[in-house]
Amino acid sequence: MQGPLSAWLVKHGLVHRSLGFDYQGIETLQIKSEDWHSIAVILYVYGYNYLRSQCAYDVAPGGLLASVYHLTRIESGIDQPEEVCIKVYVPRKNPRIPSIFWVWKSADFQERESYDMLGISYENHPRLKRILMPESWIGWPLRKDYIAPNFYEIQDAY
Amino acid sequence: MGPQHPSMHGVLRLIVTLDGEDVIDCEPILGYLHRGMEKIAENRTIIQYLPYVTRWDYLATMFTEAITVNAPEFLENIQIPQRASYIRVIMLELSRIASHLLWLGPFMADLGMRMMHNYFRIGGVAADLPYGWIDKCLDFCDYFLRGVIEYQQLITQNPIFLERVEGVGFISGEEAVNWGLSGPMLRASGIQWDLRKVDLYESYNQFDWKVQWQKEGDSLARYLVRIGEMRESIKIIQQAVEKIPGGPYENLEVRRFKKAKNSEWNDFEYRFLGKKPSPNFELSKQELYARVEAPKGELGIYLVGDDSLFPWRWKIRPPGFINLQILPQLVKKMKLADIMTILGSIDIIMGEVDR
Repeated sequence: MQGPLSAWLVKHGLVHRSLGFDYQGIETLQIKSEDWHSIAVILYVYGYNYLRSQCAYDVAPGGLLASVYHLTRIESGIDQPEEVCIKVYVPRKNPRIPSIFWVWKSADFQERESYDMLGISYENHPRLKRILMPESWIGWPLRKDYIAPNFYEIQDAY
Repeated sequence: MGPQHPSMHGVLRLIVTLDGEDVIDCEPILGYLHRGMEKIAENRTIIQYLPYVTRWDYLATMFTEAITVNAPEFLENIQIPQRASYIRVIMLELSRIASHLLWLGPFMADLGMRMMHNYFRIGGVAADLPYGWIDKCLDFCDYFLRGVIEYQQLITQNPIFLERVEGVGFISGEEAVNWGLSGPMLRASGIQWDLRKVDLYESYNQFDWKVQWQKEGDSLARYLVRIGEMRESIKIIQQAVEKIPGGPYENLEVRRFKKAKNSEWNDFEYRFLGKKPSPNFELSKQELYARVEAPKGELGIYLVGDDSLFPWRWKIRPPGFINLQILPQLVKKMKLADIMTILGSIDIIMGEVDR
């Protein structure tokens, strides 16, 4: 099932995969990590000027990591804003995604948080360091295979 | 400027590079209050998680609760009775007033207090309004309106206040959109974007109120937007209290297992929704992004369910975290004393910035 944005991208020959719609009817697309920075600029020119939220999650333990971007077009006084959700899947061993800080500046802290919690490193981000955990922390806390250090109950269970 | 401040901004550390009195750069360091809320959410049911959410934004606790019950409600398509929706709107607007007042307090160097409610539930609210609450609410509204007018006369015409606040921390409309700001910060820069009007959630479209916005984009504009929002909130509360319908305040409905067919009442598989039985509210394997207009900005939850009691991913999009990103840009070329003004006008709560 293809949404309008997906059809527009196909018309311009851009590689992507449509993931259908999420539960509220927001179109979801999957973009490859190498193409992401060019498609981000194209989407910005298309009109999506507001990066609402950027998050990352673990698709399956031992599987891929996903980085999710919610984009909206903000205009004064409109009723139903256009929205789209972009997902970029990366392998667990070497997760690298181009940073879109230079397109939407609101990705600054959010990409740092995804790096901090899941280990996805964003290339070309000006200050990619840990933001919520202390700088000397080892490990990526929000991954499903993360073992909290000094958590004796879990350690004894192994 | 170390993690502790004398003026109740929470634990935020700012590394400021100075040249005499002028600020060259500023780097905020967060994480002092990080409690791992998102990781905890992956191992709790919604009802078990509700007490945690009041700890994010501890000045406007109703919004955190509202979004926490809204997200699963959208996921499972649960309808709320009208009365519960009106009660929620009243509580939300009261909470917005509380948050703005408590912002105003430290903004004028005072102290505030915190309230943890634990009042919202999926499908409605935990208990109905007690007798006589509505009359007290109306009395509070009148008393409050007089108080707001008094504050306005004291503060807005005060020349010292105006000099400290006017022209300080200017953001243009396009920059505000690019940096991802939301809430009063966006509306003070000329963009009329209020999720209560755009998204139309929770029966806000049945009341008559206007979006407060200003064009200037400096700290004075943000102050005026927040004061205006408080007055609009009073208007909404007065209308809601007059029009509140009778009826049930919670939706006890059957939720079936995915595989079974329609089950009979009182059958073995008949499952209720609500706080009284044991928690067995399953999240289906969908994902969605639910949002509300909190007093600080847009509070959002990105919820990925996976057919079990616990969410697979519960991502909190905190307004304070995203609004704080613009601080290094705003304080360039300002004096040292303006940093606190700008930080105050962004309205940060470290509980939700760090989670």
